[in-house]
Amino acid sequence: MKSRMITGFTRSAAAVSAGLLVLALVMAPAAMAAEQPKAGGILTFAVAAEPPGYDLHQETSFAALHPVAPHYSLLIKFNQWKYPEIEGDVAESWDVSKDGLTYTFKIRKGIKFHDGSVLTAKDVKATYDKIIFPPEGVRSARKASYAMVKSVEAPDDQTVVFHLKWPAASFLANLASPWNPIYKADILAKDPHWYEKHINGTGPFVFVEHVKGSHWVGKKNENYFMKGRPYLDGFRAIFIRDTSARVASVRGGRALIEFRGFSPAARDDLVRALGPQITVQESPWLCVLTVALNTQKKPFDDERVRRALSLAIDRWGGSAHLSQISILKAVGGIMRPGYDAYAATEEELVQLPGFSKNIDASRKEARKLLKEAGYPNGFAFTFKNRDVKEPYEIMGVWLIDQWRQIGVTANHVVQETAAFSKDRKSGNFEATMDWACDFMDEPDLQLFKYVSSSKSPIDYSKYDNPKLDELYEKQSRTTDPKARRKIVREFEKIVLTEAYTFPTIWWQKINPHWTKVHGWHQLPSHYLNQDLRDVWLGA
Amino acid sequence: MAATPPHMDATLPRVETTPVGLPGWLGTVIWFARKKPLGTAGALVVVVMVVGAVFSNVLAPYNPLDTNYAAMLQAPSASHWLGTDTFGRDILSRIIYGSRTALFVGLGASILGSTIGAVIGVASAYFGGWVDLMVQRLIDIVMSFPIIVLALAVVSILGSGITNLILAIAIPFMPRIARVVRASALAIRETPYVDAARAMGFSHARIIVRHMLPNVVAPYLIMLTAFLGQAILLEASLSFLGLGVTEPTPAWGLMLRGAAVEFAERAPWMGIFPGLAISAAVFGFNLFGDSLRDVLDPKLRTS
Amino acid sequence: MQRYIIKRFLLMIPTLLGVAVLVFVLMRVVPGDIVELRYTLEGTAVSDELLAQERARLGLDKPVVEQFATWMWGIVRFDFGKSMWTDNPVKDEIALRLQLSLQVAIMATIFATLLSIPLGILAALKQDTWVDYAIRVFSIAGLAMPSFWLGILIILGLLIFFRWLPPMFYTPFWVNPWENMSQLIWPALAVGYRYSAVATRMTRSSMLEVLREDYVRTARAKGLWENMVIVRHAMKNAILPVITVLGLEFAFLVGGLVVTEQVFNLNGLGMLFVESVARRDYTMTQALVVLVGFTFILVNFAIDIMYAWFDPRIRYG
Repeated sequence: MKSRMITGFTRSAAAVSAGLLVLALVMAPAAMAAEQPKAGGILTFAVAAEPPGYDLHQETSFAALHPVAPHYSLLIKFNQWKYPEIEGDVAESWDVSKDGLTYTFKIRKGIKFHDGSVLTAKDVKATYDKIIFPPEGVRSARKASYAMVKSVEAPDDQTVVFHLKWPAASFLANLASPWNPIYKADILAKDPHWYEKHINGTGPFVFVEHVKGSHWVGKKNENYFMKGRPYLDGFRAIFIRDTSARVASVRGGRALIEFRGFSPAARDDLVRALGPQITVQESPWLCVLTVALNTQKKPFDDERVRRALSLAIDRWGGSAHLSQISILKAVGGIMRPGYDAYAATEEELVQLPGFSKNIDASRKEARKLLKEAGYPNGFAFTFKNRDVKEPYEIMGVWLIDQWRQIGVTANHVVQETAAFSKDRKSGNFEATMDWACDFMDEPDLQLFKYVSSSKSPIDYSKYDNPKLDELYEKQSRTTDPKARRKIVREFEKIVLTEAYTFPTIWWQKINPHWTKVHGWHQLPSHYLNQDLRDVWLGA
Repeated sequence: MAATPPHMDATLPRVETTPVGLPGWLGTVIWFARKKPLGTAGALVVVVMVVGAVFSNVLAPYNPLDTNYAAMLQAPSASHWLGTDTFGRDILSRIIYGSRTALFVGLGASILGSTIGAVIGVASAYFGGWVDLMVQRLIDIVMSFPIIVLALAVVSILGSGITNLILAIAIPFMPRIARVVRASALAIRETPYVDAARAMGFSHARIIVRHMLPNVVAPYLIMLTAFLGQAILLEASLSFLGLGVTEPTPAWGLMLRGAAVEFAERAPWMGIFPGLAISAAVFGFNLFGDSLRDVLDPKLRTS
Repeated sequence: MQRYIIKRFLLMIPTLLGVAVLVFVLMRVVPGDIVELRYTLEGTAVSDELLAQERARLGLDKPVVEQFATWMWGIVRFDFGKSMWTDNPVKDEIALRLQLSLQVAIMATIFATLLSIPLGILAALKQDTWVDYAIRVFSIAGLAMPSFWLGILIILGLLIFFRWLPPMFYTPFWVNPWENMSQLIWPALAVGYRYSAVATRMTRSSMLEVLREDYVRTARAKGLWENMVIVRHAMKNAILPVITVLGLEFAFLVGGLVVTEQVFNLNGLGMLFVESVARRDYTMTQALVVLVGFTFILVNFAIDIMYAWFDPRIRYG
């Protein structure tokens, strides 16, 4: 009796569960379908400036990258979902020799240029020859990053080999640079300047038109080598120079996204106005504002005075306020906070001069240093800055306030960008605002700013220290991450103690966009992830 | 249409239009107020502005440079009548101190520009011939440059700062007033006074200063008052573009730059009050200037 | 009359030459280097050798006199050179923006005229009444408000109250008149209001003067219908100074709307101006200044001829 009831119960329970299971199986795809990429639609996005030329090998501005990148493929690129992991684009696979001197890449079959011709290893070789060994009259903006390359070869149609002079930790990442689109060998052979004014690539979108001063249009590449991509039918980039007009364009729905970054005020306005229709992606940006002191002018020839200026700045406290009114937020040293591999952890950071959380103690020490150096009552100097409000002028006003706290008077001289740039380059300043933006987290790139002025064109402080140069070379050739990290920390300590150029606060990348835009995951650099291959538009 | 107020005109029968015993200037003021109400309103605005500029440190409740991050972006309240900006600075104080910059730049640029321009115009008319031709061409050349380009060039070459800003704004005024003054001066050059003075052997400088300049005072004043308002507007535009006064100096145009636009929805007081201040100041100067001209020389009524 | 025209025409040449020389010199005196701005602004490390290469390509390493000669020689053949920033012919870059700037200028002038002439006449006829005061206050307000402030208020108003934003990029009128107008009507209104202020005052004072003239009083005394008096006699003569003012302002509208274009994000000549000066794009700036200067000088010339036509005293003076 009992067993029959139990059996009955069990049977009905089984039936119910089975029914539920079937229901779940039927519903699940429907539920997941809400997350599945849909094909179709045109993505309109806003860009703050217009590309002066189309050849990314020689351009340095994001304004060139954003409209041009969707038309091209790279050899390898950063995986947007698993940054900083690298995935193949034109390359299918690769392998590195044990001694680190030979990199071999296998190229996919069946990739076609927009004009119909097939891509082979020859094209990759020609592209990299142009970047690393540019012919006479051809400009390659990042040639110096490839100083370790001896030669590039294409032994057969699907293989490319790079031979290096010495093992370099950053080489693979450098190849993933967004600035290295693959060009066609035949075109380059005929005219290496062709790509400055024309577009012909293997990317997910084909070039339609560029109306100067107005917009840029691309449409789906039907023969793209990755089946099913791109999802979009096309894209349109609108050039909007004025910041508030750019924000307004997203708000009004005339642009769905802007890839560089908005201010916190813009983000708040958009969220308040559009609610759930807006999604905000935020993370620390690979850009930082620094102060450069001219070590050839008194009193900045004395490292005590320089360090005092850095000690006076309340980075932790300032971050809390500045992050509400500007894109300045993260506190970090010479590597981007958030890049765990090589950035200092918070415990390491607070040990360094200028990064203590006890600002009163820091300022007391600053005053002591000034007194020792012979300036018990402070001194006055001019601080040059460029005439762009966000975030340069805001930081300028704040810095002056901070230095006032240790009795130092800084006169804020705001100059038009061209004049400012000239003075900074020629050393016609006592102290100046400075900055650094890179396309990837990589000590080779970020540390280069702090290397001796005679070696680095972006170190404006006229400071030379062979020890630092030596450390830089050493870390560049150290492939073991742990050992490399140690060297980077040592480098950082010297930089912050000498304080000839020091970081203030890192920027925050804020990308509010319409929720219907999917498939674009924000990366720390606004130079990365712009081929729009995985973007799709939802409801 | 009378140029002298009735109670001061000895030829008229005595009529009680003002209370007996008031000093003459007060009577004049009341007469002016009755006759030109718009102009008086303008004059009041100007007076408020001047008082604000002169007594800034007494009138302003806070130091305009004091930052207070705890109080940033606050709406107008009892402690901050016009609210605070992105650095927590009191907007009312910045507006009061801003009138100093506005007046300094406005007066400085218009007086500098008008005076130099007037001298050029008169000299050109007086010397005539080749000199006149050359100066005319120079005037045409400078006037063909949009004001922004001239200002940009001056600021880029000389650097930013108040004195260079005054120069940058004064320069576009010079050819304009030179042209107008020259027209008036030409008429005077042919009069018997100047001929007689030349015959008597007076130096050029003396003739220009003593005989010609006084007669071009009317157009000079007209353009001067017209330029005052324009100078304040130009300063605002240039500061807005980043070419004028720089942070952290309190100046109305500068207050509209950047943050005021960015936070326009969240903190509209940041953009509204400086804009109102500029408009009110220019408004006041224009109205007052118009009416002053009418009274001083009715023949030159343009309002 | 012919001699006068020829004389004034010939005088245009040295003026134009002066403008060309002045802008050339100014650009080279102002500190700044386009090559540095193009490549180093975002913080990338670029070698000095690459910068030197660029400078040589743009001809900036040649002696100044030679640069001037090359440029002038080009102008004489109507070749304004290539923009140093984009490498495209200056002519093309300008032609693209000219359409928009011209349209805004024309629309603003039409609006200003439609507003100022009736208002000015009305104010003159009802002098010293509250109508007069109201009109004067209205027109001076247009002069007093900073144009960029007005522009910001307009855009904010549209956003907050109507949840609507004007189109962000330019469509020519013949392609899509609705898109075109919905973008350009707002800056045209903001700018037009400002210019109407000047023209209203001019119309009013000009009318006042003319209304006092003997012949008008005579016409009134003869008992002619009031309207006929005004329209036929007064307006004809009052209109001349107003046209002068509108004409001169128009010359500046085409290239001078720098701040308005920035606020409304218009791809016009004013924006091009500011950008090329900020970038130290010598060829572009020089070409723009010469063009705007030429427009101004031409308009001046036309006005002078018109005045001489109407007032014989000037021809023989």
